[in-house]
Amino acid sequence: MIEFQNVTYAHEKGSGVNNLSLTIEDGEFSFLIGPTGSGKTTLMRLMYFDLLPDAGRVKVNGFSSKSITKRKIPIARKSIGMVFQDYKLLDDRNLFENVALPLHVLGHSAREIPERVEEALELVGLEGKDHHFSNELSGGEQQRACLARAIIKEPDILLADEPTGNLDPVASFELVRLLETIHETGTTILMASHNYNLIKGRGRPIYELKDGILRGR
Amino acid sequence: MDKFFYLITEGMKNVWRHKMTAFTAIISLFISLFIVGLLATAGDNTHKVLQYLRSKYKIEVFFKQDVSNEESVGLIHQLKKIKGVRTATIIEKEDAVRIFKDQFGEDIMDILGYNPLPVSAVVNLSRTSRDLIRVEPIIKKIRSIGQVEDVRYQGNLIKKIERNYSRVIDRFPYLAGIVIILAVLIIYNTVKLSVYSRKELIRSLQMIGASRMFIKLPFIIEGVFIGLISSLLVYPALLGSVKAINYIFTNFTSWSIRLSFNPVVWIWLFSLVVVITLLGSYRAASNFLK
Repeated sequence: MIEFQNVTYAHEKGSGVNNLSLTIEDGEFSFLIGPTGSGKTTLMRLMYFDLLPDAGRVKVNGFSSKSITKRKIPIARKSIGMVFQDYKLLDDRNLFENVALPLHVLGHSAREIPERVEEALELVGLEGKDHHFSNELSGGEQQRACLARAIIKEPDILLADEPTGNLDPVASFELVRLLETIHETGTTILMASHNYNLIKGRGRPIYELKDGILRGR
Repeated sequence: MDKFFYLITEGMKNVWRHKMTAFTAIISLFISLFIVGLLATAGDNTHKVLQYLRSKYKIEVFFKQDVSNEESVGLIHQLKKIKGVRTATIIEKEDAVRIFKDQFGEDIMDILGYNPLPVSAVVNLSRTSRDLIRVEPIIKKIRSIGQVEDVRYQGNLIKKIERNYSRVIDRFPYLAGIVIILAVLIIYNTVKLSVYSRKELIRSLQMIGASRMFIKLPFIIEGVFIGLISSLLVYPALLGSVKAINYIFTNFTSWSIRLSFNPVVWIWLFSLVVVITLLGSYRAASNFLK
């Protein structure tokens, strides 16, 4: 469960989130919508403890921003998968190595990893491309690779920050469908977007953020 | 165990993945280690050079005219007993005539009709002492022998050589210290730049949930690996330099000095680089992760 209680965070250059309260239940698939600079990324970063609130409390999977230490942050992130608008794939490693990275972090055995990577790549439709480097993949493929890297560790929560920001409409639509497939396994998903047309009519909760304030659900 | 093995291989793979950065780091490290190694080898050979120069020190002792060849044997024993004297060789009256003829091309017996040259001795000083040789007390003791008429020696030259050796020995630790500090700074900054150039990788690893040690270990392994490559390259370079210097001495100078390369110098450099790269990469990665 993700819980925000009167959370405020202000960046040095302004914007952020202001007195925000929000609860996302386990297994929920919800969207976060708002214009650029509305605080979507700040909200996501607070969820994976990349930022700690100036006021209020963030609670994710039992980890609280009030009590979390630097050492515990990596542990908290082990159950959170992240997908970024700019992919954040490592360009000096091939697709297999990129996707396998979280499993190495979690200490999985070397024998188990190839099979798990193959499964993840198959799920996102990138089978057979495991030796490709990120510059040999299209934008859509890179985003799916990023998704494979996020889901390979079977996270409880998947946070997708503007994952369709650099994709064409078809690739964007496919990605959302892929997220829905992943959600069927019980993963809690929160996807941030500023493209209302992409997320409307899906029967999912939509949180609207404007100027750091949650406008409604 | 798999995780640890993965991190070790990642550290080594990183050297290949970032060939240019690794190449620059290896070259900078190599140059620093080479300078330190040369300095250490020079220090190690300083005494050998001094011994060579000391072997050239010569004291000529001329005895009084009435000292016979037989009497001079006893005097030679007295000379040898003086502290700092290594050898003393008699030059009998007849030998002196021959030497005169060799040097001037004329027989003094033909010119004067008698041999005016006294019995003399050539004294060589002990050259192995690590301490400064003070020639004046030795000369004083030689002069105190009643039968000695005159003593000739290269006083100023000996003083200069001994003084300069003393200067080098006194300043060497400071010079070596400065070079080592510079080498440490170069190594540390090289590793630091290498870590900073991969901030994207570090950020991605943090996002995935990698612990600080998981992020740091490949950098440490990579740093040490680069250090090991550099130190392995330094060995033949130092050995080659010593051989080249010896070749120059043998073929282009009249100096009969053979410098040697002590493998202990390399072992010392090897250990130094392991410690520095280990601490340097650990510190650089830790600073970045603060």
